[in-house]
Amino acid sequence: MMNTKVIDLKDALWLLLLAVLALLPLVPFVSGSFFGMHVLILVLLFASMAQAWNIIGGYCGQVSFGHSVFFGIGAYGAGMAVVTYGGLPWGGILAGMVLAAVVAVIISYPCFKLTGHYFAIATFAIVEIFNRAFLVWEWVGGALGLDYPVIEEGLANLMWYETKEGYYYCALGLFVIVFGIVRWLESHRFGYYMRAVREGQETAESLGVNSTAVKLGAMAISAALAALCGSFFVQYNLRVDPPMVMSLDMSMKFVLVTILGGSGTLAGPLLGAAVLIPLQEYTRAFWGGLGGGVDLMIFGVLIIVIVIKEPAGIIGILAGIGKSLARRGGTAQGGA
Amino acid sequence: MSRGSRSFVRWFILAAALCLLVSPLTGAGPALAAEKIIKIGTIFPLTGPVATAGQRCQAAVQTAVEIINNKHPEIKVPLANKEGLLDGYKIVLVHADSQGKPDVGKAEAERLLNQEKVWALIGAYNSSVSKPASFVAERMKRIFMCGSSSSAALTQRDMKYFFRLAPTDATESVDFVEVLKWLNKTKKAGIKTLGVIYENSEFGKHAAEEAKKAAAAGGFKVVADVPFSPGATNLNSEVQTLKGSNPDAVFGAVLGADYSLWVKTMKQAKWLPKIVINYCSGYQDPVIAKQLGPDAEYFMGSSGYSPQFASLMPAVAPVEKIFKSKTGGVPFDGNSIQEAVAMLVLAQAIEKARSLDPDKVAKTLMENTWDSPLSLGGKVKFVKGGQNVQAKSIITQLQNGQYKRIYPEKMADAKIVFPMKPWDKR
Repeated sequence: MMNTKVIDLKDALWLLLLAVLALLPLVPFVSGSFFGMHVLILVLLFASMAQAWNIIGGYCGQVSFGHSVFFGIGAYGAGMAVVTYGGLPWGGILAGMVLAAVVAVIISYPCFKLTGHYFAIATFAIVEIFNRAFLVWEWVGGALGLDYPVIEEGLANLMWYETKEGYYYCALGLFVIVFGIVRWLESHRFGYYMRAVREGQETAESLGVNSTAVKLGAMAISAALAALCGSFFVQYNLRVDPPMVMSLDMSMKFVLVTILGGSGTLAGPLLGAAVLIPLQEYTRAFWGGLGGGVDLMIFGVLIIVIVIKEPAGIIGILAGIGKSLARRGGTAQGGA
Repeated sequence: MSRGSRSFVRWFILAAALCLLVSPLTGAGPALAAEKIIKIGTIFPLTGPVATAGQRCQAAVQTAVEIINNKHPEIKVPLANKEGLLDGYKIVLVHADSQGKPDVGKAEAERLLNQEKVWALIGAYNSSVSKPASFVAERMKRIFMCGSSSSAALTQRDMKYFFRLAPTDATESVDFVEVLKWLNKTKKAGIKTLGVIYENSEFGKHAAEEAKKAAAAGGFKVVADVPFSPGATNLNSEVQTLKGSNPDAVFGAVLGADYSLWVKTMKQAKWLPKIVINYCSGYQDPVIAKQLGPDAEYFMGSSGYSPQFASLMPAVAPVEKIFKSKTGGVPFDGNSIQEAVAMLVLAQAIEKARSLDPDKVAKTLMENTWDSPLSLGGKVKFVKGGQNVQAKSIITQLQNGQYKRIYPEKMADAKIVFPMKPWDKR
C-alpha cells in the first residue's frame, strides 16, 4: 500500500519559510518602493532584536526589560567610533558588543538572584539608570546625542544616503547572523541547558546543570547580539541620543515582537516583526497625519486582538490554521 | 468563543498579516494628480508630550495654504489677493506625525520625499527631529522650511536647503540677560544669581548652554543648573534643587505639560525666584496658561506673537480667524505663527523664482528680503546656514491671563510686576 502523505504540515511551513528567506536577497530588484524597503529593513532589524532577546527571554525563561541598555551600548559604540573619533564604525561595533556582554554579566549576576517578577522589575530600573546616566554624560554626547557628519557613503562607513539597498543587505546579513547563532544554539547542548533552566531551575540543577552559568552565558550572548542590532540602528538613523535607544519604549519592543510572534521558538521573532512592524509603519503612514494618534489606537487594538485571541502568538495562529486544515483534510478523506 | 468565530479571527489576522507583508513590495502610494499641484509635506509631533503644540503648527500651515490657494482680499499678506501660484498651481499638503522622535521624523521625511513625492518639507517643531529630517531633505536637494525649532545648532551646519524662521535660543538668551540688566538698572532689582532649568533634550540642553554663556557675559553667576527628563511625572527634586540654591532669577526651557508640572511643583514648594523667563512653548502655550489659571501669572517669556500683539501686527487678525476655525478657537502662539510664515515665505519664493526647481527657489529665498506681515519685524531675511536674521521676539509677562508686552520698552504695553508676587499673596 502506498503512503500518500509525503510531507507533513510542519515541514511544509518550514519549506515555505526557507523559500521566503531564499527570495529575500532578490527584494531590492523587484521592489520599486523606497518606503517599502524601509519597512523591510525595520522588519529584519526588529526580528533580529527580538531573536536576540529570545535567547534569554524565550529559551532561558528570564524576562528582561533591560535589553534597550545593551542595544544602546552597541549604538553608542558605533556612533562614537564615527562621530567622536572620526573613524570607521566597525571597531566601535565590536567594542560595543563586547562591552554590552560584560555589562550584561555584571548587572545580571546580582539580578539573577531574583526570580520571576522581581527579576523583570530590576531590569526595568536598569534602563532608567542608564538612560539618566547617558543623558548627563558629556563624553557620550549627553542629551544632545551624537549626530553623524556627512562622510562618504558605502560599506566601509556603513552608511548610505539616497538608496536603501546597502542597508537592506546589511539588515539581511544581521538577520542571518543572529538567526544562525540562535539556530545553532537551539540544537547545541547549551540550548538544551537553557530550556532545562526555563522549565525548572531546581530540576535542572539536580541534573548537574549550573543554572547561574547558563543564565549568565545566555545573557551575554543575547546582550552582544542586541548591541550588534543597536549599532545597525544608529548607522541607519545617523543619530543617537539616550531616549532613542535606552528607553523603556525600546525595551518593550524587544519583548512585544517576540511574545507576539511566539516566544521560545525560532520563527516567532520573525513572524512577530513581520506583522508588528508593517502594522506600526503603515498605520502611521496612512493615519498618522490625521493627528490625535488614530494610528496608535488602531495599532494598539490590533495587538490586543492578537494577544487575547491567541496568547501563543502568531505561531499559535499558524498552528491553529494548520490543525484546522488537517481536520478538514481528514474529514474530506473520510467522506470520500 | 465558538470554534467557528475563533477560526475566522485566525484567518482574518493571517490575511491582514499577509496584506501588510506584501504591501511593502509594491510601490503604490496615493496617486499623483497630473496637473498643477505642488505637494508640500509637514512633519510635526501630532502625538506624544507636545502633541497639542504640534497640532497647532500643522493647523498654521493649513491656514497659510488656504490663503495661498484661494483669493482673500480681506487679508493683507502677500499672495492672499490671488488664487494659487505660478499661474494656477495649488498647494496640497501631506501630513506626517513625528511622535517627537528623531528616528520616526527621519523615516517620515524619507517617506514624504520618496513615496509621496512632496516638493518640500515644513517642520518639525522639536529641534532633535528637525535635525535628522532636514538632513534627509538636504541630501535629496529639497527645501526644508523650519518654522519654530530654536536650537542654534540647526543653522550652524551650513546647509543649502534649510531655512529657519524663529529666533534661536542664542539670541533669546542675550535678550533675557538684557532684561535682567535693565531691571537692575531701572528698578535696583539686585539680581546677581541665576538658575537654569531645562528639559534634557536637544532644545533644552542648547538653550541652557546659551543661557550660561549669556549670563557669564552679562556678569551673572549661575548657581543652579537643573536638567530633567522630558515628559516627567515628578519635578520635586528639581524644584528643591532650585529652592536650595535660591537664585534671584530663573531661565526655563520647559515644554508642554512639563511646564504646568513645574509651575505647580513650585507652588507646592512655596517658592519663587524674583523673576522667571522662559524659552519657547510651555509658557507661550495659551491653552496651558488657561489651564494653570492664576498660577501662571507673572511668569515671563519671549514670544514672536500673542493676541496682545494685535496692535503691532494688524494683518494677523483675519488670518487668525481662519486658524481659530481649525483649532477650536485657540489663537496663534509664537511657534505656530512661525510655521504659517514658513509656508507663506516659501510660496513667495516659488512665485518670485517662477520655477519649481529647488535650487532656483533656494537661491531666491537666500537672496531676497521678504515681506512678512505675520512676523514681528515685518520682514524675513535669511543668511548663510538658513537663519532668519530679522526674527524678533518681545519679552512678555502674563498679567490677568494676558501676555503683556514688557521689553523692549518702546514696544511695551504694560509695566512689569517685579518681583513676582509670592504664592500666598495671590
